[in-house]
Amino acid sequence: MKTTWKDIAPVPTHQEFLDIVLSRTQRQLPTQIRAGFKISRIRGFYTRKVKYTQETFGDKFQAILDGFPRLQDIHPFHKDLMNTLYDADHFRIALGQVSTAKHLIETVSRDYVRLIKYAQSLFQCKQLKRAALGRMATICRRLKDPLVYLEQVRQHLGRLPSIDPNTRTLLICGYPNVGKSSFLKNITRADVDVQPYAFTTKSLFVGHFDYKYLRFQAIDTPGILDHPLEEMNTIEMQSITAVAHLRSAILYFMDLSEQCGYSVQDQIKLYHSIKPLFANKIVYIIINKIDVRRPEDLDPEEQAQLQEILKSGDVEMLQASCTTTEGVSAVKNAACDKLLAERVSQKLKSGSNTAGTPGGRLGDVLARIHVAQPMGGVRETFIPEAVKELKKYDKNDPNRPRLERDLEEENGGAGVYSFDMQRDYTLANKDWNHDKIPEVWNGKNIYDFVDPDIEKKLAALEEEEEKLEADGYYESDESVEDAEDADTRMKADLIREKRVLMRNDAKMRKSLKNRAQIPRSAKAKKLSQLEHGLDSAGYDVDAAGDRARSQSVVRGRPLSRPDAGADDAMDLDDPKQAIARAKSRARSQAATDRRNDGVVDEMARTKADRLFKLGQKKMNRMARQGEADRHTTASLPKHLFTGKHSFSNQRR
Amino acid sequence: MAVRAQFENSNEVGVFARLTNSYAIVAVGASENFYSVFESELQDVIPICHATIAGTRIVGRLTVGNRKGLLVPTTTTDQELQHLRNTLPDAVKIQRIEERLSALGNVICCNDHVAIVHPDLERETEEIIADVLGVEVFRQTVADNVLTGSYMALSNQGGIVHPKTSIRDQDELSSLLQVPLVAGSINRGSPVVGAGMVVNDWLAVTGLDTTATELSVIESVFRLGEMAPGGTGQGPNKESIVESFY
Repeated sequence: MKTTWKDIAPVPTHQEFLDIVLSRTQRQLPTQIRAGFKISRIRGFYTRKVKYTQETFGDKFQAILDGFPRLQDIHPFHKDLMNTLYDADHFRIALGQVSTAKHLIETVSRDYVRLIKYAQSLFQCKQLKRAALGRMATICRRLKDPLVYLEQVRQHLGRLPSIDPNTRTLLICGYPNVGKSSFLKNITRADVDVQPYAFTTKSLFVGHFDYKYLRFQAIDTPGILDHPLEEMNTIEMQSITAVAHLRSAILYFMDLSEQCGYSVQDQIKLYHSIKPLFANKIVYIIINKIDVRRPEDLDPEEQAQLQEILKSGDVEMLQASCTTTEGVSAVKNAACDKLLAERVSQKLKSGSNTAGTPGGRLGDVLARIHVAQPMGGVRETFIPEAVKELKKYDKNDPNRPRLERDLEEENGGAGVYSFDMQRDYTLANKDWNHDKIPEVWNGKNIYDFVDPDIEKKLAALEEEEEKLEADGYYESDESVEDAEDADTRMKADLIREKRVLMRNDAKMRKSLKNRAQIPRSAKAKKLSQLEHGLDSAGYDVDAAGDRARSQSVVRGRPLSRPDAGADDAMDLDDPKQAIARAKSRARSQAATDRRNDGVVDEMARTKADRLFKLGQKKMNRMARQGEADRHTTASLPKHLFTGKHSFSNQRR
Repeated sequence: MAVRAQFENSNEVGVFARLTNSYAIVAVGASENFYSVFESELQDVIPICHATIAGTRIVGRLTVGNRKGLLVPTTTTDQELQHLRNTLPDAVKIQRIEERLSALGNVICCNDHVAIVHPDLERETEEIIADVLGVEVFRQTVADNVLTGSYMALSNQGGIVHPKTSIRDQDELSSLLQVPLVAGSINRGSPVVGAGMVVNDWLAVTGLDTTATELSVIESVFRLGEMAPGGTGQGPNKESIVESFY
């Protein structure tokens, strides 16, 4: 709910209003029009002017109407306060006039737009536009007073204190000069003016304070004089409005010392006359200035009157002195407590269903602050004695216990350090902590064989073992091998070794190690290798060696004489020679047909073509300009022909 | 004493640890920071055991225990069981249970006297709980949730239940358990109070996100530190709370 109206936009005077609207029309719309234009265009131009002006007026008026609060929509307290301060009728009329002006301007605009439709010339159009804007200006000028009034209201509204009518409120009222403002000053931090004369406070003042974690507002009202409602002035009416409408605890201040200038009887009389406004509210009579005069010092007659007020029972009397601050906080606390209790009981009542159990959101809230206490006694606790002597761990203490974290830091930090899981085992013997136990032994889960009697069984076994040992069971030596076994074993070892060697050799041989793969038949092999190989395989070496020698081609000068006179012999058509010659001749075409070599058939051919195209694809797609491409350089390269000329007078 | 801690960026302390009056079990993490929180608070008063259950780190959710015993699920390996046995004092009975609802920490909530268990727990399990842990067993729900262990944190001095538990349920549970109960949240409003914290009779460890208000509720209901019992929302505060929240 809105409690302040600080954000209303300023209301311009009628003159400023006109300036704003007209200059806006001028600035936002085209200004050039000529007689040579088509008449439809001229009409459109002026229609737009009129309409735009009307729209601007309308927007501005609407903004004013929307900015001000509507009296029927706000809290009765604010409504009455505004009525008191600004006169609701006046306020409504002012806003009404603005609204009427808006409608009138709309009508004017409509009429003139209609007329412009029938205008015959530029001149006619222009005169109609002038007339329209003139009439709008006249309407606006008639708003002179309402606009001024609204601006004043706006300024005053913005400065009103933010009073929330629904929150926890202490309302301070009473005769002028009884110490209301100084009380407010005492309990809140509100900086109110305190002066020793009546009507120092001329409007409502608000201060806030905290009590029991809650924010309370305290409202200081102007003093009230005891006369009929109709005779009250604006200042007093503000107090009455606040008293009448705010759901609050009312603190009626009284000054028994009569320093305020009003007798005790007057003050009691005022209380009685405004008492009807206190219906359904918490009321306290606060006797202020007790440092000067206390209620006990009153004469019996006044005392009786005072007691008369308190007799009804729902009114309490409290005493305070704002100068010595005696009893001030007591007054505040008492009032706040009662107010709070009242509000809470109302909330509990409204949040509960017919059965009296709180439901909905209230139920949730209550459930969360409920402590369920058991009926019987408390449960026994088990807190070790050591806990009481436990020293609080202090990170900066040099003698602090070393934690796992410290160890971790010392041993390389998280991710590197691996904690000792078995460190804290509570076994019978500390040395057993790090004993290794296999999980699975001979394919069997060790833990399946754990049984409670294992110690006993182990002891029995050990006893048996000792007994055997004592009997000399382990002393007989039966580990004599006979020679045959040893021989077989030796041979087997030899065979195994040989096989390993062969395997390694083959591996070495087969590994290419970045050499070309040469078919075995093409590899030259030494005769000695052949012989060695045959020899080791158990074949006769000599025969094979002889044959190899006889087959080998001798390099260098042949030892046997060639056919005598072969060069000189007549050329015969020896087909063998013809072929040899043909082969030795230099050929124009390639020695091999690289296009078709190795291509077996048509299918292989097409496949090769396809692969070739595929290989070219990327190159074609990139279509890079290469040096083979035709290229024309710029005839006048800019960088060479601009800028400073060292030779001319065109130096820049 | 209530402290805040975090296990590898997770606030669910009750998932990764189990704290009782005679021992504590802490999950094996990447660093020793979480373990050392327990170490610094407990020092040598009770043994703290680094453990895994079925190779997982969620030891707090899979196990349940109190001063007298520890129950582990059927998925626990033999080695893990042996490790627990070696580390925990001999007075603590350890028992592996064959139970379909194997996250025992979620379905059982107990202190040294009473256990509140999931209504669907098997009868044998119920008997084992009574024998091993030495407690009375009640089948109950917490705020209509069957996972009693997740939605309730319990010690011998007090308990916290799911924040939406109605007053009637709270009173009922409290009379069953014979300890004061409050409805509360943990870790900045999380309702899984059982998984969000661990508590015994003198120490509570909560998630790092736990607010000061939540922590003060915990300290007062579990009577940790020098606080007067049952100080939450009682007396003068109640009016303020009703006034400002409703």
